[in-house]
Amino acid sequence: MKLVFVTPRYGTEVIGGAETAARMLAERLCQRDGWEVEVLTSCALDHLTWENSEPAGTSMLNGVTVQRFPTASPRTLDYFDLDGRLRIAPESGTLAETRKWVSLNGPMCPGLVDAVAATDADVIACYPYLFATTVDAIAVAKVPVVLHPAAHDEPALYFSAFRRSFRHLDGLVYHTMAERDLMEDVFRVGARPQVVLGLGVNEPAGGGRPGGEILGLGDRPYLCYLGRVDEHKGCGMLADYFAQYKARRGGDLAMAMVGPVSSEAPDHPDIVVTGTVSEADKWDILGGAQVMVTPSAYESFSLVVLEAWTLGVPVLVNGACAATMEHCQRSGGGLWFDSYRSFEATVDRLTGDASLRSGLGEAGRAYTARNYLWPSIIDRYTEFLEGIVARGRSTTVQSPRLDLHDGGTPYRRQGGGHD
Amino acid sequence: MPTSPASPSADTPDAALSAVDPTAEVAERIRYLDEVMAEIDAEVRRRRASGDLPAGLERELDELFLEFSPVGLQGRARLRETLSLVDGSAYIDIAVPTESNKAVGAYIKRVIRKALGWYMGFIVAQVVKFAWSVSRMLHVVVDHIEILEATVDANRSVDLPTALLPSAVPGSAWWAPAAVDALRSAPGRVVVGDCGDGSLVEALIAEGIDAYGVDPSDIALEPALMRGVDVRGEGVLHHLDVVATEALAGVALTGSVQWLRPIERERLIELLSTRLVVDGIVVLHSTSPESWAASTSPVVRDLAPGRPLHAETWAHLLVASGFSVSTVLAGGGDRSLAHVTAGSADADTLNAAIDTINARLLGVSEYLVVAVRVR
Repeated sequence: MKLVFVTPRYGTEVIGGAETAARMLAERLCQRDGWEVEVLTSCALDHLTWENSEPAGTSMLNGVTVQRFPTASPRTLDYFDLDGRLRIAPESGTLAETRKWVSLNGPMCPGLVDAVAATDADVIACYPYLFATTVDAIAVAKVPVVLHPAAHDEPALYFSAFRRSFRHLDGLVYHTMAERDLMEDVFRVGARPQVVLGLGVNEPAGGGRPGGEILGLGDRPYLCYLGRVDEHKGCGMLADYFAQYKARRGGDLAMAMVGPVSSEAPDHPDIVVTGTVSEADKWDILGGAQVMVTPSAYESFSLVVLEAWTLGVPVLVNGACAATMEHCQRSGGGLWFDSYRSFEATVDRLTGDASLRSGLGEAGRAYTARNYLWPSIIDRYTEFLEGIVARGRSTTVQSPRLDLHDGGTPYRRQGGGHD
Repeated sequence: MPTSPASPSADTPDAALSAVDPTAEVAERIRYLDEVMAEIDAEVRRRRASGDLPAGLERELDELFLEFSPVGLQGRARLRETLSLVDGSAYIDIAVPTESNKAVGAYIKRVIRKALGWYMGFIVAQVVKFAWSVSRMLHVVVDHIEILEATVDANRSVDLPTALLPSAVPGSAWWAPAAVDALRSAPGRVVVGDCGDGSLVEALIAEGIDAYGVDPSDIALEPALMRGVDVRGEGVLHHLDVVATEALAGVALTGSVQWLRPIERERLIELLSTRLVVDGIVVLHSTSPESWAASTSPVVRDLAPGRPLHAETWAHLLVASGFSVSTVLAGGGDRSLAHVTAGSADADTLNAAIDTINARLLGVSEYLVVAVRVR
């Protein structure tokens, strides 16, 4: 069985959630007997400029064949003009306008689209929904196409160009049930073959050092945040809530914020901000935490929640985040907060009740083992894809490709980064 | 205070999982989590009532939470708080800060602010006027929403106690073979509503039918999910709502279809006649009204929002919506009283009375209606 992934960008340098998820799936699937995996992607790593930074052609990356195709043009300022206009009332954008938005959003890779049309693969997996590579691949594919939408409730989701395109999908693969509900509500794709797959969790790989020692906290109990330290991830709110908690409740509880710092780091004597740490230190710090806190309301899956559970560590999540709430409610492995008051009461309860922490942690561990270990993820994925291939392509009609737009002032990125 | 559910004692996750009944485990997990969160909510209310946190500071901290939350996910309890954020941001200050690290910088900024003040003031006054109008309109909308929600809540029926409902194992029901036979010719995807443990979905798939299932109970679905069956935690009405026009070739209905409210039943038939392709097949299983009255728990009967219909009524409704009824099967056990022997004194009178009793109170306990969409 041959599977082709179509992604706008691909590589270990790409930190974006959807692209990383595609790479994780591809790298594990290619180790499965009888499966051949190829990735068709652009030569770009930066999704804001689509600058061709990688050489075109075929290469191997961690066992996966990667074919790169140059982007026809960089992102231009026209994109931002149109985006600003369509965002106000996304559902009122015409098909022509929204298709233009998709092509300006890019990356436009004519060679990649030709390769999709000519592929000898049994099935194509597009990942994620938002980009021109996905819409064009669905339009020209002659073999079954599944989509990993990685969708958020954002204005672009309501563009008619996607509604038109997704009529020709043969299957959908979701991260969470919340994502499935969203896609079904917006696109009426309930009858399409689908699977809520999620992502697999790696085996814990700690170095055996106590987390408190790594953090310089000794034996003090601590909460742990894991991920990019960023205002948009709710880190500022978490730091403020924790500072307020300490002012009101006292005690020796500390908090570790572990990950690259992209916003201003919180400054508080009981908060340790580590910056980027080694994989071994990450697991050791996580394993030593009383509770792992995820304050972000905008997670589409949240691998770190599952990583905490593999170590039996309970989690505390943002009650407004559909994905992490779903994990907690299905697993019984964590609690949530939706105000400062509930943050304070929940932290009190969790830190003061070892039996509760242990019960939640074990429930989370069982949930992760049942649903999110790589072998079972790959089993479910291959079974799903085999069903898709058996059903065949649902349409024989090919749709028109997106139009290339020449000219325009190229967008210049302020600073670096690929995420 | 709840105690945590027993932790798996086995050494490996797989061994631990195989040792527990998944359905019971999920139910226990949900119960435990609900209890803990209820206790935390009670503690939050107690602390809030104590007034130990200045109201202004608490509002500031809650606004911080809202600032980083998607509005659509905040629920009705947040509606007023979100509206207060709109009110708070409806005023635009034209007094641009003029501080600067460079002495001349502050001077230049003050000059620019003064020079543009008349212009900015004119524009901003109109923007603020517009923002306040929008804010006022939102207050009116929220008032209306709250009145509507209160009205809807007042008419909402109590959830049926799931423990009193028969467990759904439709794959081993008397009508399952007939349903599979009827759906064998479905020209595409088939959905099983209230699919329970997924057994009917599996029976259909085993016959080469492209089937999947939906059920509102995540607990009921757990065994099917564990076996990798394509089942989803949705009620059948909601599911048909998120299916494209003519996307289905067959629908099998059982379970909650028996106690739908009249308006929901109307919606169901409307959805069936649009979501199914022409030649699409409906298979509908129900308890008879007589059997429902005689054999269902009084609590379920009293709390159910609707009542089962006779097979003839479903047939009538389906035909009126563009279906042709091909089969009506009776089953599930015949509870009719037998006739007395003919020839005995008053036998005819007694048998006539028995026929009346059978027709009104007893008779067949369940039925299956098969219909095909013809227009």
